[in-house]
Amino acid sequence: MLEVKGMANKIIIVDDDPGIIYTIKNGLESLDSDYEIITAENGKECLDLLEKNQIPDLIILDIMMPVMGGWETFQKIREKLPSEKLPIIFMTARKDHIAKKAGGFLGEDYIEKPFKLPDLKQKIDKILNKRK
Amino acid sequence: MKKDINVSLSLKLTLIVIIVSAITIASIGFVNLYFFNIHYEDIFFENPYYETASSNIQALNAMIGNSTNLNKKNILKNKTNEFLKSIPPDYSDNILKITINLLDENDELIVFFSTDNETIGELSNPYIQETEKDTIACNINALEQDHIYMISEHSEDSHELIMLHPINFTGTIEGTYEIVLSMNDAYLSFEEELESQLKWTVIISTISLFLLIFTFLYLLSRTIVKPIITFRDSAKVIGQGNLDTKVEIKTKDELGELASAFNKMTKDLKESRDKIFEYNKILENLLKQKDEFIGQLGHDLKNPLQPLVGLLPMLVEKEKDPKIKEALQLMNRNAEYMRDLIFKTLQLAKLRSSDVKFDIENINLSKISTGLVESQKLLFKENKIDIKDNISKDIFVKADKLRLAELFYNLTTNAVKYMGESGGKITLDAKKEGGTVTVSVTDTGKGMAKDQLKRVFDEFYRADKFVKLNDSAGLGLSICKRIVEKHGGKIWADSPGVGKGSIFYFTLKSGSEK
Repeated sequence: MLEVKGMANKIIIVDDDPGIIYTIKNGLESLDSDYEIITAENGKECLDLLEKNQIPDLIILDIMMPVMGGWETFQKIREKLPSEKLPIIFMTARKDHIAKKAGGFLGEDYIEKPFKLPDLKQKIDKILNKRK
Repeated sequence: MKKDINVSLSLKLTLIVIIVSAITIASIGFVNLYFFNIHYEDIFFENPYYETASSNIQALNAMIGNSTNLNKKNILKNKTNEFLKSIPPDYSDNILKITINLLDENDELIVFFSTDNETIGELSNPYIQETEKDTIACNINALEQDHIYMISEHSEDSHELIMLHPINFTGTIEGTYEIVLSMNDAYLSFEEELESQLKWTVIISTISLFLLIFTFLYLLSRTIVKPIITFRDSAKVIGQGNLDTKVEIKTKDELGELASAFNKMTKDLKESRDKIFEYNKILENLLKQKDEFIGQLGHDLKNPLQPLVGLLPMLVEKEKDPKIKEALQLMNRNAEYMRDLIFKTLQLAKLRSSDVKFDIENINLSKISTGLVESQKLLFKENKIDIKDNISKDIFVKADKLRLAELFYNLTTNAVKYMGESGGKITLDAKKEGGTVTVSVTDTGKGMAKDQLKRVFDEFYRADKFVKLNDSAGLGLSICKRIVEKHGGKIWADSPGVGKGSIFYFTLKSGSEK
């Protein structure tokens, strides 16, 4: 069913801050060469990537972004794909934003900025392993 | 008609006492004087014989004026008999004796007449001569001093009125006419009247006394007790926070002054309270703004910190040049410290805000402590710490599970921090007393001086300035204080002295055993 089996895990990182994109992309790649990292600057770009049939194994989604924020993006994705098909890790500087909308993304994971990369990798691997 | 004359309370009281007493005494005196005014003497002069006897004697005197000695004797005898006959029989019992005696030029007793049968006509008897002469001398002496009436009281039961009248023909007193009346009946009725008068005096005095006391008490209560009750009630209302209350006492005495002072105090109190409320509101607003600012700043610092926290460990690992590696390590430590600082500052700001919610439940305290000991095993081992958990399994507390765990974590890691390189011992203990559980964390670390004990919970305070910067944000104990206080408990530190270790205590509400 999954073509990605045995291949590199495809991950989309969505954040408007190039510093964060750079950090996560380079950090994760240096920790594990098995990741294929695609980046998007905002929610709209991310949805465009999905439209082009590039369904990744995981999305790491920032919440506060211009053009299209994390919540809107999340809802649009979930209209088509459930959590089992495309897991999402929210990434936020404000834990209280997560807490406030907790009812809306029950079951999704999140990580609070600034995080240590091994912690993010741990979360990613846990989710990916569960899917197998 | 306002007069600014202040009548002092003591003066008022004195006036009340004086006026009420005076009115009472005057009323008792008035009643006694005008209604109960009989006297002992009155019974003698108000008796029915007095007038008769008096006129009789005067008539006699006129009749015998120019008679010879023999005639005198006869006239006196006849007239006396006439007089005796003229007295109604029911009165005659009261006439004890009528005696007439007369002396001649040589002071010899020539007439002696008495209704007292024992002595009549015994003129030759020398004893009577002697005694009657004495009596006459006595009588004449009394008459010369105008003692016409003599009241004699022989004993308690015998009261007599002796009426004397001189008999004189030539200008000098030659004899006396004496009527002795019994006053016993009159005295009995006098005594009865006196008794009833006394009875009424006592009754009226008692009533007046009671009236005096009641009037006094009433006035006392009006002037003192009532205002005091007004004060008490007002003070109660003010105590409940209603500072609009006024004491309505308008008298011009000390209580009136007290009331106006009291009202002024209440007014001032209200003004200052309102001011405090106003300032408090401003302060609350400022604090809120400060927390919001800290929150905003903290969150805004998080994003730019991410590349540092994310990339520096990677660079440290990959760098081969030891000098650059060391520099990168320093940078990494500082980035880590900043991260810790931001998290803790935000946490403190959140604990301070009013909308933070705690999930209070019944927790077995030993579960939290053993969980901590287990999870931090490595930390204790690395720092050569011997941790001992003495917390009994039957102690329950009412607390938020996660915050309680954080409390234990902060206190033990704080103890580890101040332990020094040779390690030491940390003991956890808890005691239940009434509805309170007191938890203690004892260490054998560096200890503290007295002035440090209180400041240790201040934000950004470090007991030891030489503790490495990146080890601590200096906020751990402040967070502990917030957590404990939000649980309604207390936290404090104790130390036998520098170098002798410290003990941290905190209290929680006791839970129910299950």
